[in-house]
Amino acid sequence: MKVSEAYKAGQIGEKARKLFAQERDLGRLDGWFLARETGYLHREELEKLPEELAAARRLELIIDMLPLTISEHAVFAGTQRDAFARTYALINPAFQVETFCGYCDATAVFDDIEPNEEFTPERIGAVKKYMEDSPYVRKLKEVYGACEDYTGEVAFFIEQVTGHVIPDFRGALREGVKPMIEKLEKRAEQEIDEKKKNNCKAMALTLKSAIKLARRYEKLAREQQKDAEPERQKQLQLLADTLHKVPEQGAGSLYEAIQSFLILWQVMCMEQAPNPYAFSVGNADRIFEPYRAMEQLGRQEASDLFKHFLVFFNVGDRSWAISQNVIISGRDTAGRDLTNEMSYAIMDAYYDMNFPQPILSVKLHKNTPDEIYKYMGKFFFSPGVLTPSLFNDDAVFEVLKKGGVEEGDLPDYSIAGCQEPLIMGKDNGNTTNSWLNLGKILELTLNHGKSLITGKRMGPDTVQGLSKREVLERIREKFYENAEYYVSHMITAANGASEAISREPVPFLSAFMGGMETAVDMRDTEEQGTKYNGSGCLIHGLSVVADAFLAIDRLLAEKPEEAENLLPALENNFEGYEDLQDFLLAAPKFGNNIPEVDQEAAQIAEKIADLVASQKNYLGNPFRPDYSTPSTHLLYGYWTGATPDGRKSREMLNYGVDPLYGEAGQGLGFRILSALKLPYGKFQGGYASHYGIDPKLFTGKTYEERGLQFKTRVLAPTFFNERNKNIAPFYLYVNVTTPEILRKVLENPKKYAPSGVYIMRIHGTFVNFLDLSPAIQQDIIKRLDLNSTRV
Amino acid sequence: MSGLRIIQKGFNYSQDGPGNRLVYHLQGCNLRCPWCANPEGLSLEGCLMRGKDPESGRVREKHSCKEYSLEELYQEVMRSRMLFFEGGGVTFTGGEPTMQFAPLKELMERLRDQGIPIAMENNGTHPRLTELLPLIDYLILDFKHPDAEIHQKVTGASNERIRENLEKILNLGRQVALRIPLVHGFNDTPEALAGFLAFFKSNPMDQATLEILPYHEYGRDKWQQCGMEYLIKDGFVSEQQVAAFEGAFREAGIQVIHT
Repeated sequence: MKVSEAYKAGQIGEKARKLFAQERDLGRLDGWFLARETGYLHREELEKLPEELAAARRLELIIDMLPLTISEHAVFAGTQRDAFARTYALINPAFQVETFCGYCDATAVFDDIEPNEEFTPERIGAVKKYMEDSPYVRKLKEVYGACEDYTGEVAFFIEQVTGHVIPDFRGALREGVKPMIEKLEKRAEQEIDEKKKNNCKAMALTLKSAIKLARRYEKLAREQQKDAEPERQKQLQLLADTLHKVPEQGAGSLYEAIQSFLILWQVMCMEQAPNPYAFSVGNADRIFEPYRAMEQLGRQEASDLFKHFLVFFNVGDRSWAISQNVIISGRDTAGRDLTNEMSYAIMDAYYDMNFPQPILSVKLHKNTPDEIYKYMGKFFFSPGVLTPSLFNDDAVFEVLKKGGVEEGDLPDYSIAGCQEPLIMGKDNGNTTNSWLNLGKILELTLNHGKSLITGKRMGPDTVQGLSKREVLERIREKFYENAEYYVSHMITAANGASEAISREPVPFLSAFMGGMETAVDMRDTEEQGTKYNGSGCLIHGLSVVADAFLAIDRLLAEKPEEAENLLPALENNFEGYEDLQDFLLAAPKFGNNIPEVDQEAAQIAEKIADLVASQKNYLGNPFRPDYSTPSTHLLYGYWTGATPDGRKSREMLNYGVDPLYGEAGQGLGFRILSALKLPYGKFQGGYASHYGIDPKLFTGKTYEERGLQFKTRVLAPTFFNERNKNIAPFYLYVNVTTPEILRKVLENPKKYAPSGVYIMRIHGTFVNFLDLSPAIQQDIIKRLDLNSTRV
Repeated sequence: MSGLRIIQKGFNYSQDGPGNRLVYHLQGCNLRCPWCANPEGLSLEGCLMRGKDPESGRVREKHSCKEYSLEELYQEVMRSRMLFFEGGGVTFTGGEPTMQFAPLKELMERLRDQGIPIAMENNGTHPRLTELLPLIDYLILDFKHPDAEIHQKVTGASNERIRENLEKILNLGRQVALRIPLVHGFNDTPEALAGFLAFFKSNPMDQATLEILPYHEYGRDKWQQCGMEYLIKDGFVSEQQVAAFEGAFREAGIQVIHT
C-alpha cells in the first residue's frame, strides 16, 4: 500500500502537529527508569555473562518489557522518550548557575524522578543503589575523587561521554539488518578471539532486538486496527505491514526508510538510557533522497513525512532529548554541490513545524546555490523561528584532512551535538570528555596556585619568590607552565572517565560504528573499534586571557607604579581600585581588529591547542582541541575570580572564540577581521561562535532578498573571503533579534509567542526560549551584544 | 597635528559609498546643525562625554575622540582590505572631515597610491574641497538649505561656499551623491523645495544622485552626554512629505536614491 492510499492530502502534516502537542503534554518520563530497573531485576542472569553479552541481553530484556503505545496521530511507530529523563540543566527551570558543582554523578538522574504510588522512593532507591555499585559508577567515582581539587572550582572538568556520535544506518536502511545479523553470526562462529566472538554475538543479538521491537509495534498496530475507524484501519495496516518488513529488510520507499530509521534510533538510545544526548542523524537529505527518488515522491509529501521524523526528536514537555542534529546540503570532494530535493523538503518541514528539536545544520561551500541562502532568509528573519547552524565545508574538509581523515570520508562528516565535526559511522570523538578553563588557570597562576574565590590551594605555586611586578612581567611563561600542569591532570582524569564508561559496552551502536568490520565495541579502551578515534577538550576563556595579557602589558608600560596593586585589586574584585579597573578595561580588547591583541589571542589559541593535541587518550590518539563553551562560559565564569582584563569575579567568560561580550564595540567588520586571524586548522575538535544580529540591518523586501543579503554581508566575508589565505572559520550560529524584542517576548509570551514556542539558539543547539531557565534567558539577551555586529 | 582625531570607526555596508566600507568619523565641524547625530564631533578638540554605566551604575567619562597617527590609520586600512568587498573601501565622514584637511589629504594620497577606493561625506564648505576631488572615488555632499540666510541662522554658517563648490563639482561632470536632511521647521517648506529645484535646474545633474534623509533623533542622548541642550522640539517629517520632495526632484529629472 502506498502512503497516498492511506492518507488524504495535508493529513500527515496535520497529524504531526497534533502528535507534537500530545508529546508536549507529557509531564513524566519514566521509561529510562524501567530500562535501568530491568537490569537490576535480571541482575543474577546478567552478572554471569561477559560484559558485552550482558549489555546485549539487557537491551533485549528492555525491548521485551518496554510498554509501547501508538498514538492516534502517529504515522510511524517509535519513540525515544523512554531513553531520556527530565534532566538537562539549561531547560530545567530549577537550574541556577550558583548550584553547578564540578562533579558529574551518573546516578544523580534518579533524583529527577518525582516519586508517586507506582514509582515509590524505595523502588527508585533500590535501582539507584544497584547502579552505584556497578563497576562503571564505582570507577567513575574513583576518577572524580582523585581530581575533585581541580574540578570543584573548575580549573578543568571531565565527563564520561554518552551519545555524541553519528551512527551510519545507511546500509541497514538499504539492505535491512538481517544480512548484518547473518554476517555477525557467521563471524562469531569463526572468530577465535573470545572478546571479538562475544562482540559479534552481542551485536547480532541487539540487531535482532530491533526486529523484535518492530514486531511488537506491528502487533500493537494490528490490535488497534480491530477497533479503528475504516480510515485509521487502512493507516494502521500500512504501518503494520511496514513494521513487518523494516528494519529487518531493506526499505523500498521513503515511508519505509523513515520507519526503519526510527526503530534503529530508538534501540540505539535505549541502549544508553538515560540521557544519551547529542546523537546526530548525519546528512538526512543524502540518507533519504534515494528513497524519495525511488518512488518519485513530491517535495510536499516528502516534507510531510519528514515532519513526523522531526516530532520523534522532541521528547516530553520540554523536548528533553537535546542537541540531536540533522544536517543538510554540502559538497563532495571535487567541490560539487550535493543539495537535493530532499534538502528542500527537510527545510520545508522544519519551517512549517518550528520545533525546539532537533537542531538543523546547513553545510555551505563556495558553490552553494543561492536558493539555499534565499530559503534560509525565512529562518533568519521570521521572529521566533529556528535558525540553522552554519558550516563551511571548504574549511572543515581542510581541518579534518589535517587531522588524518581520508579524502573519501570527508563529505560524510557531520555534527555530533552542537558543532563537533565527526565522520558518520567511523569516528568516536568522545567530544565532551574534558573541559579546560584558561581563565581559572590564569587566576591560579597569578595567585600562587590559590583560588581567589575560596582561598583554597588548587595547584602549585609557580611564582614563588618573584616580586609582584616580576609575576606580571613573566605572566605568559608562568601561565603556560600552569596550563601544562592542569592539562596533564585533566588528561589522566578524562581517560579515567572513558575507562569507566567502557564498562557499559554498546554493541548495538557499535554495529553502526565500525563494529561490523572490527568486531570491537566502540567504547573499548584497549582496542580501537572505530576507524577514527580521539577525545575532546573544550577550551574556555580564550579572549579573556588574551585581553588580560594585553592589559598587563599596558599596565607595566604606562603605569608601572600601579603594577603592585594589580593582585590586591583582583583579590578585592576591584573594590577600592575602580580607577585601575577602568584603566584595564580601556586596554586593547580582542575583536576590534587591533593587531597586538588579536595576535595574542591567535597565539594562545595555537599554543593551548598544540598542548591539548599533544596529549594522548586511552587508545594513544590525540585529544582534539575544541574552542566551544556550551553555556559553560557562564558556569565556569562563576568559579573564576576577577581577571586583569578588568572582568569582575564570577562574571561570565567569553563564549567560544568570541570576544567577551561588550568588548568588541567596533562592529561586525572589525569583529570578522579579528576572527579571521585565529588558527582554525588547529581546532580539530571544533569551536563555537555566535553573532547576535539586529534584523533592521537587512533591508531586503522579501525573505529571499534578505537571505542573500545575509550571505553577502555576513557569511561570504567570514567563510569564503577570497583574500583570506588561511583556513577560514568553519562554524557560526546567529540569533537575528534585539534585546528589546526578547524582553517583550518574556513579558508577554501570549502575544509574541502564541504557540508557546519561540525558538532561540544557545550555544550550538536551539531551544524554546520560553523553556529556558531565567539565568540562561538573561545570558542570551546579554550576549546578543549588537554593538559587536553593527554594520 | 600630525595625525587624525577620530570619533568612531567601523564597517558599514553600502550606506556611505558602494560596497562594504571602513568608515572613519573625524572630529570637528564648522557647522552647528541642531539635529546633528554626532554632537560629540562638533568641536575640533573633542569633548568630554559623561554617561552612566548601565551595569555598575557608575558615571563614566570619556573623551569623544582619539588621535591616531597617519601610519596607524594607514596600517589599519591595509589590514582591513579583506572586507572591502563589492567595491568597498574607506569612507571619511564626521564631524566634518575637511576640518582636518592637511593630514586627511596626506592619508588619502597614501591610500590612493595603494589603490584603496576612497569615499568622503562632507558639508561642502571647505574652500579647498576641489583639491581633494582627484583622490576621491565617491563623493557625498550634504546640501541642507538653498537659502543663505536661513542656512546661516540655523547652522551657523552661510551656504554660499557650499553652492559655489557644488556648482564647480556639478559642472565638472563628476559623480556626487547629494544628501538633504529633511527637518520639520527648517527645510520642509514649499519655499525650500522651490529653492532646491531652482539650484538643481540651473546645473548639470546627470552625474549626481540625491537622497533625502528624514529627521531622526538617534543622537539626542549624546547631546546630553556632551553637556549640551537638544533644542529641536519637533523635527520629524512624514513619509508623505519625503515622498512629495522625492517626487518633485524626480520630476525635475534628478536621480533619487535610497541607501
